[in-house]
Formats: sequence, structure tokens, C-alpha cells
Amino acid sequence: MSRSFAEFRRRTISSIMFALCAGGASLIIAILLLVIGYLVWIGVSSLSWDFLTTVPTGDVANPGGMRHAIDGTIILVALASAIGVPIGVLAGIYLAEYPGEHVATGPLRFLADVLTGVPSIVVGILGYELVVVPVSRWTHGSVSFSGYAGAAALAFIMIPIVARTTEEMLRLVPRSYREGSLALGATRAQTIFRVVLPGAFGGVATGIMLAMGRIAGETAPLLFTALGSRLLTHNPAEPFPSLTLQIYTYATGPYPEQKRLAWAGILVLLAMLFVVNLSIRIVASRHARMRMGA
Amino acid sequence: MTPTSAASPPAHASGWSREPTQSPRSKSEAGVIRRARIGDAVLGWACRLSAALIALMLVSLIAVLVHSAWPAMREFGVGFLISSEWRANEIERPVRDAAGQLMLRDGEAVMEILPPAFGALPVIWGTAVSSFLALVIAVPISLSAAVFLVRVAPRLRIAGAASFLIEFLAAVPSLAFGVWALFVLAPLFQKYVGPWLHRIFEPIPGLRWMFYESVTVAGRTIERPIPLTGRDLFTGSLILAIMILPIVTSVSRDVLRAVPRTQIEGTLALGATWWQSCVAMLRYGRSGLLGAIMLGLARAAGETMAVTMVIGNNNQISPSPFAPAQTMASLLANEFAEATEGLHRASLLYVALILLTMSLMFNVVARRLVVGRIASSGSH
Amino acid sequence: MRQRLNGTLASLAVLTIGCGAFGGEVRLSGAGATFPAPLYTRWVSEYEKGHPSVRIDYRSIGSGGGVKAIADKTVAFGATDAPLSEKEIAAMGGTDSVVQFPAALGAVVPAYNLPGVDKPLQFTGAVLVDIYLGRISSWDDPKLQKLNPDAKLPKTPITPVFRTDGSGTTHVFTSYLGTQSSEFKGEIGVGKQVKWPLGQGGKGNEGVAAAIQQTLGAIGYIEHNYAIANKIAFGAMQNKAGKFVLASPESVSAAGDATSSELKGNVLRADAWNAPGDDAYPISAFTYIVMYKQLENINSEAEAAALLGYQRWTLGPGQKFSAQMHYAPLGEKVQAAALAALGAVTHKGKAIPVQP
Repeated sequence: MSRSFAEFRRRTISSIMFALCAGGASLIIAILLLVIGYLVWIGVSSLSWDFLTTVPTGDVANPGGMRHAIDGTIILVALASAIGVPIGVLAGIYLAEYPGEHVATGPLRFLADVLTGVPSIVVGILGYELVVVPVSRWTHGSVSFSGYAGAAALAFIMIPIVARTTEEMLRLVPRSYREGSLALGATRAQTIFRVVLPGAFGGVATGIMLAMGRIAGETAPLLFTALGSRLLTHNPAEPFPSLTLQIYTYATGPYPEQKRLAWAGILVLLAMLFVVNLSIRIVASRHARMRMGA
Repeated sequence: MTPTSAASPPAHASGWSREPTQSPRSKSEAGVIRRARIGDAVLGWACRLSAALIALMLVSLIAVLVHSAWPAMREFGVGFLISSEWRANEIERPVRDAAGQLMLRDGEAVMEILPPAFGALPVIWGTAVSSFLALVIAVPISLSAAVFLVRVAPRLRIAGAASFLIEFLAAVPSLAFGVWALFVLAPLFQKYVGPWLHRIFEPIPGLRWMFYESVTVAGRTIERPIPLTGRDLFTGSLILAIMILPIVTSVSRDVLRAVPRTQIEGTLALGATWWQSCVAMLRYGRSGLLGAIMLGLARAAGETMAVTMVIGNNNQISPSPFAPAQTMASLLANEFAEATEGLHRASLLYVALILLTMSLMFNVVARRLVVGRIASSGSH
Repeated sequence: MRQRLNGTLASLAVLTIGCGAFGGEVRLSGAGATFPAPLYTRWVSEYEKGHPSVRIDYRSIGSGGGVKAIADKTVAFGATDAPLSEKEIAAMGGTDSVVQFPAALGAVVPAYNLPGVDKPLQFTGAVLVDIYLGRISSWDDPKLQKLNPDAKLPKTPITPVFRTDGSGTTHVFTSYLGTQSSEFKGEIGVGKQVKWPLGQGGKGNEGVAAAIQQTLGAIGYIEHNYAIANKIAFGAMQNKAGKFVLASPESVSAAGDATSSELKGNVLRADAWNAPGDDAYPISAFTYIVMYKQLENINSEAEAAALLGYQRWTLGPGQKFSAQMHYAPLGEKVQAAALAALGAVTHKGKAIPVQP
């Protein structure tokens, strides 16, 4: 009797916990849909072709679009990635593939973890003091706030993320691959570039794109570095626009017409992030399939 | 995928057992080997330099912060950490004697000037409590969702879609959450959730501190109900919880996925229920899960934009979760842009330095915990 | 989409070449105060219509950021709501090397959420002090009723709302209340950011406005242009002459004019709150532009000429846009004082040719 009751209790608890787990997953997805749904609801009515192709007019009644900011975000993320991805991946390789130098890799891994938790506004202050002010002094003011400074601040956020993700992904590549490659007479560099990195390609690419998604949504590090601009510019030596800065300016400003543009801007930013995330999925799954086939 | 110290096996699990040893046999082969050596050396130094840059980044960050925060560090010292007064403006007021009478000189009130005062205790409190509450809310949900993603979703063929949605949630910018929190979450709490909690908990004796506060204004102390605004520590913690859900969930999912199938199948073969096998899985991955939680905690402590919009931004220490509070990051977001006065600015950067130091200490503790467990369990 | 992609590719090409010069175009940037940012943005876009070779950009990063940026010489001009302090002037090289002048006026209004009250309520400074110190806690308080004999005031509790971030708005509001009550000055004090004993906070105008709109019986202080643009009800204030005045471009300009005798030299400042005059709105303030007197932060003569030309334009023809944007234009005397201050500006000691 008591034994079957215990059995019944065991089974009931299991069913309840099963329901709770399903509930947890549904809750997260419900929250996502609520947030996205709200943002689409307030933003979609202000989305138009003009929004994507024109720049701000300064006139409240007819505020123009965000073409400059869309371009700005794309260029800033591209520049930041040009700095951050090679450095991050190389640092990740060092952390994963040079265990013999654990005296250095241990503390470095720790420092990278600390850097991923730095509040982004602090990164902006650092960018101002270490890039904007010195460069301004050096060029006698002709270059001060700039897209380069903004990209540097974003790269600062990107590097530790890419480094740690790359490291984790490289560790998942079985040791036997490396040994096999070395046994065939390949050098360490050849092994890393022809065997280990391709083996972890999907994961490394996912990490890079996640980092890109993260920096595309950052406002605070750009406030004191890229500064923002209402002009269409593709020259990163000037104060540089970004979607987040323009959204922030409009969302905190007084005019409802501009606020509506801010909501539309958030929607465009989300759409861009969605495309990035979708490509992560496709890249990762295609790569996984290729490896399965190989 | 996200970096986590805990999810990774120890360093010796991968890598190089031995340098390839070969003896050169001919001239051309020697050339090939020399070139290969050069290639290895170049790669090695490129990697070392890149990794060294990480150290340089942190050092320069600390150097700039210490340099800018120095006036405040010199002025307040360590007492900054335990002082709870934060007032950016100077106050000029008449001096009163012990009996509360105005002190007069030549018929005019004697004035005293209170200089601005800066202390970090309220924001340290606010950061600690809001991050803790966020974890309390987010961790059970995240862990259960991770279990679902690993144990159930693949069978239903929705693992890919569900994972995608959760990772997309991680990419939603803080600004977007802030807008949603300000215009949806805060009014919802003010109109419905707050009054409802009030009705349930207020009659319970001993919970009065949750709903009443005493305020001292112009020398009088009055006890009054805390206005239910929806912009308080509780709502701030909730939005933090929502924002760390995806990261904790996706890292936990990766950790659980790495648990060997044999572990699960073994327990099932011994007659364990579905849940008991899940518990075994969770126990097996506990150090990695702890890492996931730590990552969430770091994210919560540093989160700025969204929490600023709904935490109420009041530099006070109130025991009630329904009183407005302030975190270190939201303090910076509120005050940095307008802080022209030198000591004010320096004090804000001092706060940033404390936040960085906390994150540093935090990582040390987490690492100790995780490494200690791996060592004592004797696995690997 | 395709066009944008092409644009992006082109831009990447541009940046790889590292091209910097835009043929004959002059680019200048300013940064600082958030409050006048929409007006400044409008100004530069209107100015550029008549001066196609000049590109000026103003970014709102806060007065603190603006003052720091001009002191670090990382911008052509800075903008601040509160005039520079002595320390800040010293950091820029002293009174002789700085030019500061007002560009526009703004006002702060008491906004409230009381459905059923249609006509603007009337307030005095003393009543606002009582509300923010918790001595008036209900809308049907006799003091409020006495000021508004015709209004049917409900028994709703009053929730005061304040701004949590540092702002010129809080500076003006507390400065005004400080002139009305020494107790306020001694308890809460005057500043961009003060410690309020009770009520609820909001970050930025939008945070305060959201708190007011979401809380029945709330009262808060927001910028006049914000209240107008978002159709938030606000009250009239009793001025120094005892008259009740609603904020409007005229009443705020009148407050500025009343203080014009204080504007002297090249570092101009005047407190426009609690100004005398029957028509003056009492919670008004100037917002300022800050430049270097010798423009040592500007490289070329062309840039110096463009900057000066633009600033002169804002003080003349530009003023007509202020009222359109719900700011208050500068009165004639104030304009003259500001133009006189600009007259002292040279480019590294050399006179700057006046642009058409």
C-alpha cells in the first residue's frame, strides 16, 4: 500500500514537474511575444519608405526618416567587427589551444569574463578619455567625436565575448582531430586553420553574430564616442549616427511625431537583429549538416 | 552559445599532447619545416598579442576610472562604501540650537552651508537586492525551460524554433525593453498587480514595513503608505529577471546538452521517473549551471537602460520592495550626463569602479566555487 | 533595400579609401544641453537652407557632457542650461577666453492629472513648496481651494512627481521655489539634482510625464514645450507682481527682458526666474551657448567664419522659429547683449570676416 503510494507520489511529482518545465519554456516565449508584439503595435504605423530613405529635417511636423542612422549602425557594426573579430578569435585560440601556457591563459580567461560584465556606459567614458580626447588633441580638433571612436568602444565590448565563445567552441572539437592532424605531419597553424577552426565554425560564427547583435543594440557606449549625427555621413572620421542614438534622442524628446519615429526605429533595429539571428541559425545548421555528411 | 567558465572542461581536456617531432631529411624538407615553424611562431605571437590586449583593456579601464575617480577617493576614502547620503547640491540653511530655535546674530539668522555629500551604500544595496530578486525570479524559470529544451522539445521537433526565439530575446536591445517596461509593465503593476499584492499581504501582521514608510520632512517625521507607482525595486527586479532569462536559459541548455546520454539512460534503466532523471542531469551539470547563473548575475548588475526606466531612481535604503530604489548602473545613467561639478563626476566614476571591482570579486568567487567542485568530485 | 545596400557598399568603399574631405563643405559640431536640442536642430536645418556649404550638427548629450566637451575642445561650441560656474570658466582659461550668451528661453510648468478640472488651475510658489514638502496632501486642501474658487477640486490625494536625472529643468524649478521659501532652500536646496523627501520620480521629461499621466492626482514639473507638444494640462503661476500668468512665448520672453540689464561683457548670465513685471512668467530661464573667445578649438578661418555666421543668424532671423517650437524668443535688449558678446570673438586673435 505505502509502496504503491510512494510510487504514485513519485509519478505525480514527475508529471507536475514536467508541466512546470513546459510552463517555464512557454512563459519565456510568451514574454518575447508580448514585448515584440507591443513594439510592432506602436511602431508599425510609422514605418514607411520615407523612413528608410530620408534623413531628419529638424522640422517637427515633418520629421523625415532614419536612413543615416540605419547606414550608421551597419557601418559601425562592420567597423567594430573588423577590429573585434580577428582579435577576439585569435585571443580565443590562445585560450583554448595553448594549455601549456596556462600560467597566462587562466588569468586572461578570468579577465575576459570580468570584461563581459562591464557596464556599457563605462565603456563610453573610457572611449571618450582614451580615444576622443587624445585624437582631438593630436589633430587639433579636426577629428574628435567620430565613428572610429564609436567602433572602438563597440569593439571593446565585442572582443571578450568573441574570445570566450571561440574558446568554448574550440574546446568542443575532439582532441583526436588535433592528434590526427599532427600525426599526419601538419603544423600547429595548419591544424588550427584547417581542422580545428573549421570543426568549430558553426559555433564560432554564432558567437560572432551574437556579439554583433549585442553591439548593434548598444546606446550608452556611443553617446560619448560616436556622438551621433543627423546628417547622412559615411565618413567615420566625423561624428557618426546610429539607430540607437537617434532612437534615444527622439524617444526622450518632447514631440509625439518624433517619438513615433523612435518606435519605428526600434522596429527596424529588431528586424535587423532578427535577420542576423536567422542567419546564425542557417549558418550553424548548414555547417552542422555539412559536417554530418563529411 | 555564450561564454561560460563553468561549462568548459578543464584546460587539459583539449589541446596538444606533444609538439610534432620530426628530423629534417633533405634540404627542401628543411625549408618546408622552417616555413612551418615560422607560421607557427607568427600564429602563436598573434594569439598571444590578442590575448594580451584583453589584459591591456582591463588595465586601461581601471587606470582611467581610478584617475577620474581620484578626487572622490581622496575626499571620501573607504567611508564612501558605507555612507548612505547622496546629495549633489549644496544646501544653505539657518543654524538651529539644541532646542530647535534659530540662532541669531545681529538680528539675522546664522546660516550654515552643507556641502554636497556622496555615499554609495544605497546603490550598493539597490544593486545587490535587485540582482538577487531577479535571480530568484529568473533561475527557476530558466532552468525549467532549459530542461524542457533538452529533454522534451527535441522529441516534439520544436527545439530549433524554441531555441531561436529564446536567443532572439537575448538580442532585443535594452532600450526596447525599457520602453516596454515604462509603458506596459509599470502601469500594469500600478493599476492591478500592486493593489492586488496590497490586499493579500497587508493584513498579514509583521508585513507593515512592506507598505508603509516613515518620512522626515522639515523636522517632522510622518508615517505614510508607500504610493504604489509601479516604478519600484520590485518592477525593476522583474524587468532584470526578464532580461537575464535568455542568457541563463541558453547557457543552461548548452550545459545540460553536454551531459552524457549514458547518465540519463542509466537512471531511467534503474526505474527513475522522468523528473528523477532530470534531477540527476541537473546534479551532473551543477557547476556549469552555477556558471550560467553567475553570468546572469553579472548581466543583471551591469544592466542600465531598462532598469533605469522602472526602478524609481531614489537613492534610499528601504526594506520594502515597493519603494523606489537605485542601482549603480542606473545612478550613472541618471546623473552622468549632467554632472558638471568635479566631485560629483568623480563620485559617479568611483561608483563605476566599485561596480567593476564587485564584478571582479564575483568572478573570483564563482571560479573558486566551480573549480573547487570539479576538483572535489574527482571527475574528469 | 537594394539602393540602401548599394549605399552601404559605397560607404564601405569610401571608408577603405579613408576619404575625409567633402569638397568645400564646412562641417561643425556642437553638443550639450538636452532641453534646447529640438530648437537647435531646427535652427541648423533652417540655416543650411540658405547656406548649403555649411553643415552643422548639434547633439544632446546633457549640459555636463557639453561643458566637458568644449573644455576638452572636442566640439566647436557647447550648450548648457545652467551658466558656467567659476571653476568651469577657470578650466577653460578664465573669463577672458570664454564667450557665453543666451540663445533662447524656456519655462517650467506645473502639470497635473485631474480629470474633470478643465480650466488651468492657479498656483503660487508657496503652495508648490507645501505640496513638495508634504504639507498639502489632498487636492481639496483649503489653500488650493482659495486660489481656485471656481474649480471643483476633488478629495484625491496629491502625489508630487519629480525628476531623478540631473537637469536644467530641476535647476530652474528649485531655484524658483528657493526664492519663495527659505525653508525649501534649507531643506531641499537648489540644484540640477536635489534630494526630494517624498513623491515619485521619473527620468527625463518623458519619465515625469508618464508618471503624471499614469497616476490620478499627480502633480509634477515639466518643460513648457513638452507639456504643449504632448497636450498635458498645466497651471498658471503667480508672478512677483502678484498676477497669475500662464507660460507662453510672450510671458517667458517678458521674464527674460526684465533681467537684460544684468547681461554685460562676454560671459553673459542672468537668472530669469521670479522676474519682475506684470506679464512675466515666474519659472523661466535662459539656456546658453559656450564658445572660446579666440576660437582656438577651430582649425580654419572658413570654419570660424561659418560658426560665427551661424551664431549671429540664430540671434537674429533664427529667433522666429523659437515660438513655433514652443520656446520663447529673446527680447531685443537680450539679443543686443548677446550679439555684443559675439562681437568679441576672433579667430586666434584675427578678426573674422562677416558672412553674408
